[in-house]
Parts: sequence; structure tokens; C-alpha cells
Amino acid sequence: MRILRIVSAFLRAAILKETAYRAELVGNLFRSVIGIAVAVGGLAVVFSHTSELSGWRLEQAMVLLGVYYLVQGIVQTALSPSLNEVVSEVRKGTFDYVLLKPVPSLLLSSTRRFVVWHVADVMLGGAIIAIGLIRLEAQITFGVAAVFVGVMVGGVAIVFSIWLALTTLVFWFVRVENITMIFQLFFDTGRYPVEIYPFWLRQLLTFVFPVAFITTVPAQTITGREPLVAIWLAPLIGVLALLAAARFWRIGLSRYTSASS
Amino acid sequence: MTIRRATLAGALALTRAEVADMFQYRVVLFLYSLWEVVHPIVYLAVWGAIAGEGDVGGLRLSDFAAYYLTFMLVSHVTAAIEIYTFGPMIQQGELSPHLLRPMNPVWVAAARNISYKSVSMLLLIPVWIGLVIILRPSFTVTAGSTALFVVSLVVAALLSFLVGTTFALLAFWTTRSFSFWEIWIGLTFLLGGQVAPVELLPGFVQNLATALPMRYTLGFPIEVLLNRLDAGELALGFALQFAWLIAAALIVRTVWRAGIRQYSAVGA
Repeated sequence: MRILRIVSAFLRAAILKETAYRAELVGNLFRSVIGIAVAVGGLAVVFSHTSELSGWRLEQAMVLLGVYYLVQGIVQTALSPSLNEVVSEVRKGTFDYVLLKPVPSLLLSSTRRFVVWHVADVMLGGAIIAIGLIRLEAQITFGVAAVFVGVMVGGVAIVFSIWLALTTLVFWFVRVENITMIFQLFFDTGRYPVEIYPFWLRQLLTFVFPVAFITTVPAQTITGREPLVAIWLAPLIGVLALLAAARFWRIGLSRYTSASS
Repeated sequence: MTIRRATLAGALALTRAEVADMFQYRVVLFLYSLWEVVHPIVYLAVWGAIAGEGDVGGLRLSDFAAYYLTFMLVSHVTAAIEIYTFGPMIQQGELSPHLLRPMNPVWVAAARNISYKSVSMLLLIPVWIGLVIILRPSFTVTAGSTALFVVSLVVAALLSFLVGTTFALLAFWTTRSFSFWEIWIGLTFLLGGQVAPVELLPGFVQNLATALPMRYTLGFPIEVLLNRLDAGELALGFALQFAWLIAAALIVRTVWRAGIRQYSAVGA
């Protein structure tokens, strides 16, 4: 309860702060529209040479792209602003102030900032999913929608865990402002279904760096494609990843020595 | 345009200093280089999946491998980073001390560009060699195509630097130069030979790609090296590449002169 109150207070503060920069929404919307238009253009080029990409039709690949942007939007709205702040605070030593507060450091470190204008990506991602589904004339039952949401939540949990684990490296290496690029590096492979990759890379992207669970599996569940793996694995891996990342955070935290020492 | 000897000596000194500076960020630079490896691999996988055992428009899997492996090196050499290195200098007023030096601050951007690429290239090469061994490309390279490739690569790098500088200079007028830059990046992705080799683009898009400058910062050198062009296409390509280079140089000069006139640092 108390946790919910804290998070909602952060969210309120973020919205208050950001309403001062309303033009940002227009700017971000503009950039997202360009980004998505280019990505859809890319799909059009690819599908001008084939009707199926590893069994995926154009509309299904569009839904997958929508999922990609949806997750990207969530990352930029809710995950990266807070966690990037940790990196700069640890470097400067001001992370002390986080530790001094009577709130679990992990909670505070991961929910302090929201850049609400990045919901532009979430909105456009949702729109692309909708367009793809309409063109597929997909029958979305309540059950399918519920499973989709569950799988998406699992995917976002995986994303958060990876992002947190990368951020935690700051306690060892200090200068890691760009470390989360590693996430983007792997995440960008998720713009296309994981089936296109050669066997070893597909395994890597499914079980080691589970991008497959972030974009491919959700898109499969909602477009009615045969799932790559049992879908209950998605939330399970999400929970396991969260636990592992939280544990890693505690190990890293114990190495924090502030700035002057 | 004549470049004075002192300017060259200054540029050399700047580059040496920047290289020393860059070496501090080995790990981050290594990550940047990896990023340049991932995107080509994604599109190699896409086209590989479509080609299977056959071909797409005459390109087999091993041809795509050769194309995208060359792409990695070319995109690295021609990467425009000025929006990150030079743009912020203007925005945050750090340009001022550089204006007091007896050489154009664009040289600072050039020195940073060269040092970034030479240091991170050292880190990229081992990864690249590993990928060549794994992906088994068929490099259809000849001595002649290699010679022409070097020329087109140098021009591509220069052109790309000038384009990147132009977009960075927009920071004189707007805080949103990144949005404009993203349009350029998007067009390069579609028309420059990234999502697909230009020869695979559908009809009219292919003509557009041939006329516009994006291909000449990226895809053209690759096509030259791998002998994908006939004599006529080669001649046209080089003509357009040089034409765009001259145009870009003139644009940078004009934009710089207009921008510097109304530059007022920060807090002025």
C-alpha cells in the first residue's frame, strides 16, 4: 500500500514537472511517426520480394513491429529515466541520498522518474498492432487478449530485469553511461520474428538474452500463430529474471563506496 | 580552397589529442562498434531467410553475407557522429573557446570523427574477422574494384561528415536538430542500402535512391567493391557522388557562415 502511494506520488510529480514541456509531446510524436514510418517502409521493401518471412505474413510482422514500439515506449517512459539517473548518481556519489531514504533502494531507484511524453511510442505501437490485426481480420476473444496482456507483462518484466542488471554494473565500473546500449543492441534484433535467425542465434535470443519473449511471443499469441515455446514460459521467465536482477542489485549495492572513498 | 600548413599541423595535433582522449573510453567504444555489427546481421538474417537455398533478385545467401559484412566496415568508416560531438558544443556554448583559435572549429569535429573511428576500428576488426569465418561470404572482389572502392569510400566518408556537420550546425537555430537528423537516418536506412541493397529496391524507389545522396554515403562503395555495377552505373554513381560532395561542401560553408553570425553562446 505504502509502496503504491510512493510510486503514484512520483508519477504525479513527473506529470506536473513535464507539463511544463508540452512541446516535447509533439516532438516525440513526430520522431516516433518517422521511426515507425521508416520501419513499416522497411517491411514493405522486404515483403516486395516475398509473401512470407519465415512463415510470417506482412500484417503479422506489422503486429510484431507494433509490439516492439510498445515495449520501447514503456522502456523510455518508465524504465530508462529512473535507472539512468542511478548511473550518474553513483558516479557523482549523490546515490547516498537514495540510500538514506526509508524506502527500499531498488524501488526508489526504479520508479523515481517518468518521461511521460514517450507514451507517443506506446500509442503508435498500439496503433500499428491494431492496424495489423484489422487487416488480418483477426478474431480477438477475451481469452486471447488476456493471454496477450499476460505475455506482454512477462516481456516487460524481462526488459526491466535486463536493464536493471546492466545498470547494476555501475557499482563495479562506474563509467557506464552507455552500458544500456547493450540492451538496445539485442532489442533491435526483436524488430523481426526470431525465426529468421540461424539456429544458434535463435537459441541465444530465446534463452540467454530472451528477446524472443519480448516481441516474437506476444505477437504470436495475438496473431494466432503457433507459439515458439509454451507461452506460460514468458511470465515464468519474467519472474525468474526479476528475482535474479534484484539479487544482483543487492550484490552490487554492497560494493557502493560513495564518491570520496 | 587552400588549407594553410599551420591549419593542417593544428588538425594533426587535435587528432592526436582526441585519440589519446578516446582511448579512455575503450569499453564504450567497443559497444558502439558492436552496434554497427548488429543491424547488418539483422538484415542479413532477413534476406537469408527469404533467399534460403535459392536467391533473391540474383543474390544468394553468400552474396548477402558479403554485402552486409562489407556494410559493417563501410558504415563504420562513413558514420556521421557530428550531431553528438559537434551539435552539443554549439548548444552548450563550448564552441566559444574554439572560436578563439586560429582555425575553424569544424576541424575539431573532424579530429573527433577520425580519432573515434580509428580507435573503435581496432576494436571492431577482431569481431569482423570472426564473423567472416562464421558467415562464409563470397567476396566477388577484383583489384580494379578494390581501387575504385577506396576512392568511393573516402568520398563517402567525406560526404557523410559534411552532411553530419550540416545537421549539427542546425543547433545554431534550433534545439531540435535531432529530429531533423532522424529523418536523414530514416532515409538512409531505406534508400542508402541498409534495409536492402539498392538493387533490390522496387522500381521507382530505386531511381530515387540513385539520385539522392544517401546511397553515396553508404551503399555505393559496397556495390563498387563487390562488382555489382556495370560500367555505365559506375560512371553515373561516381559522377553523382562527387556532385553531392561538392554540394555538401558548399552547404556546410553557407550554413556555418550564417550560423556563426547569430551565435551568442549560452547566457548571452
